[in-house]
Amino acid sequence: MERKSFLKNGIAALGAGFIAPLVMGCRKEDTVAEEEVTGGTATCEVAPTETEGPFPTKNPSAYERSDIREDRAGYLMTVTITVGKVSNSCSPLEGAIVDIWHCDAEGNYSEYGGMQMQSSNYTNVHFLRGRQVTDANGQVTFTTIFPGWYQGRSTHIHVHIYNASGTSLKVTQIAFPEGEGSAVLAVNGYGKGLSGYTYNSRDNIFSDDKNGVQLASVTGNITNGFDLAIQLNVA
Amino acid sequence: MNVRKIVFCYRKIIDAQKVGWERMLHEDTFKEFKLQFQLFNTEKKYTRFSELLNADTRAEKLHFLVSAAARGYILQLRGKVPDIKNKLGRTFLSFSNFQFEIIESGVDDIRQHVVAVSFCTDPLIWYSTIGDDLLLTESMEEPLMIQQLQLQPFLSIYSIQNIQV
Repeated sequence: MERKSFLKNGIAALGAGFIAPLVMGCRKEDTVAEEEVTGGTATCEVAPTETEGPFPTKNPSAYERSDIREDRAGYLMTVTITVGKVSNSCSPLEGAIVDIWHCDAEGNYSEYGGMQMQSSNYTNVHFLRGRQVTDANGQVTFTTIFPGWYQGRSTHIHVHIYNASGTSLKVTQIAFPEGEGSAVLAVNGYGKGLSGYTYNSRDNIFSDDKNGVQLASVTGNITNGFDLAIQLNVA
Repeated sequence: MNVRKIVFCYRKIIDAQKVGWERMLHEDTFKEFKLQFQLFNTEKKYTRFSELLNADTRAEKLHFLVSAAARGYILQLRGKVPDIKNKLGRTFLSFSNFQFEIIESGVDDIRQHVVAVSFCTDPLIWYSTIGDDLLLTESMEEPLMIQQLQLQPFLSIYSIQNIQV
């Protein structure tokens, strides 16, 4: 009888409560065997008998969420994106994967580069990044904060749209209305003001968008928060 | 009294041979890699991470972007460094910082996907050394509670600090 089946059969009489640790014990041996192949940490030793853990369980990507704020403070904003399909008269595209990301009130993105260690508070490292799948109306909704601005760019949100199987359909950006009564004016760079601000007409990305295809509708105020809506069509 | 505070770094390599939660991390980060790879591979010229990185250094961001798929698994370790055991065969090192990296990957074949998670431990006092084993303790309060640790592949000393206690 093979060792694994011996163990499984042997514990049947002990009751279900004992099964999990012993099965994990078998897995641990498998792991050790694999590590030897790849030059891991295995040494020639008897496997310890205690239940080693914790054993992480299946966990979705940190991006898969509607509320993307994490620890970032700012004026509440609800973002509703409708994805349409041009080849189908811009009718709603269901099942599309939509990623968004934008900077925080200070103008910083969540990211790190090179060999730098992640910050100790690693629960917050992916702030203001999220992913949703469009519903039957072609819509996704995110809860976030109104983005700040940084040198050289107008206020914007990055968007990456994939089809249901994960093939990239469009990488684009959402622009914000400006001028009298606009949210950009009301937020006023979170107190930083708009001195040195790059307006859409001078922005490298948006200046050629003469028909306002990338321009969202933004309503609301700093007390109750803002609602952003836009339709983005893919081929 | 002078003591040496020591920080270790354990680099855990995860490839297609793994089982259990490491396999889940491997599969999920591969799925995320395939999505995020397209952000930089706009002309669809490349299939491998190293090729793309060679052509466009912005692809360095993929380490971070893909790490979101590993985060849920790392959090479930509850701050305990996996695999590295004391002389009694128990894991005991705790970590607050980790780093995720893509060693190599290719969108066409999950077997090309190899990633690493580096765990930097919280500082311990390096009291003494016996043979190949370091004697480590959290506090100099007697009796000293010792963790006996042997240095091993992929476990390295990250920093040492002499301090007065």
